[in-house]
Amino acid sequence: MANEELVNKLKEQIIQYLNLIDVTPEDIKSEAPLFGPDSEMELDSIDAIELTVLLEREYGIKITDPKKGRKVMSSVDKMADYILENGMV
Amino acid sequence: MFIRDLSCISPQATYFDALFENGAEELHGPKLWAKEPSYKEIIPNKLLRRMSKLTRMSVGTGLPLIKKHKDIEGIIIASSNGSLDRSMRFLNQIIDYNEGTLTPTDFVQSTPNSIAGVLALMGKITGYNTTHVNQGLSFEASVLDALMLFEEGKSKQLLLGGGEEMSDENYNIDSQRGLHKAEDISTSELLHSTTKGTLPGEGFAMFVVDANKNSESLAEIVDADMICHASKEEIVKKAKYLITKNGMSPRDIDTLFLGRNGDIRTDFYYNHLQNTLFSDQNICFYKNLTGDYYTVSTFATWLAAKFLGGAKLPEECFWKQTTNAVQNVLLYNNYDGEQHGFILMRTV
Repeated sequence: MANEELVNKLKEQIIQYLNLIDVTPEDIKSEAPLFGPDSEMELDSIDAIELTVLLEREYGIKITDPKKGRKVMSSVDKMADYILENGMV
Repeated sequence: MFIRDLSCISPQATYFDALFENGAEELHGPKLWAKEPSYKEIIPNKLLRRMSKLTRMSVGTGLPLIKKHKDIEGIIIASSNGSLDRSMRFLNQIIDYNEGTLTPTDFVQSTPNSIAGVLALMGKITGYNTTHVNQGLSFEASVLDALMLFEEGKSKQLLLGGGEEMSDENYNIDSQRGLHKAEDISTSELLHSTTKGTLPGEGFAMFVVDANKNSESLAEIVDADMICHASKEEIVKKAKYLITKNGMSPRDIDTLFLGRNGDIRTDFYYNHLQNTLFSDQNICFYKNLTGDYYTVSTFATWLAAKFLGGAKLPEECFWKQTTNAVQNVLLYNNYDGEQHGFILMRTV
């Protein structure tokens, strides 16, 4: 299970990087999908690149394989898990 | 070319035309911010979050016009700086992150033609799409572009407009060029100033223009012209040329809209033109409402179109008011005393 402090920090960074309007960290469900038809966030491919940049700049993680990126960025929880395993936290 | 509809965001309350009911608001420097409307009903949050201020203002003025007038065939935009702020952010990131991965949003928004592109995508207008970026003459060039398209029969209805945002980057660059006042000054003091520089402003004005007059036409843009690096005598000559070329004499002009901006280095151009050719006309100013920016003649055109359409201008606009009936209007503006633009308008 992802570290709660990291999850909250990540939600704030997602709001900042994607410039989400009228969205608070509480509005983002940690386990909910970030992309795809079941997502409430309505993120798109440009957002995926923005999140790739976030991971690289904030946590030193480089995502070069799109398939891997899709898995890592499937939810905030998944992103936090991956950061705890691979990133500079 | 006939103006059918128009919209304007500026430092004054122009979006809902409150300027004509409540008068001009006195504003203080160092820069004049545009009064933006709430965009929530115009732009979905998903798109709004990626837009620069300039793109927001252009969509805020342009998209409601596109939705209202379904026959618009193409888009012509004037913006010299575009979203310069985004360009600078993008360039700074290349240095800050040692040429590493860059975010796409700033790059996408960094060019002036992103405005016309976004409007075309949102309004589904697949026709002519052009952006003019030649500094203080961007809008005059856009007007000529539209006039020529109509003359060649290549289009019948266009969305024409332009504007700038005064971001921190824009402000700093222009300040270093010595374009701004060093002292604190308000809009009511600006035109009486005897020092160098002006008040910077920002805004966006958009027009739906038709090749042919129709029952909805509000005003006509007859012609436009421009000249660079000219003497005050050449400005008079150019104004005469434009007026006579269109079958009028200077006496037929009843109202002059001048871009006087309180800069002692360049205001003599306006004085000379006014004193030489137009001693008996209404003299209107507008930079004491909006401040100065490259495409401020969009605001002047918006104001003149409203005036020609019967709106009562705020008293702050009149330097000299006569009893002349308003029929033919000449707009003259210069940017930094180097680029001089003229737009000739009349009633329909």
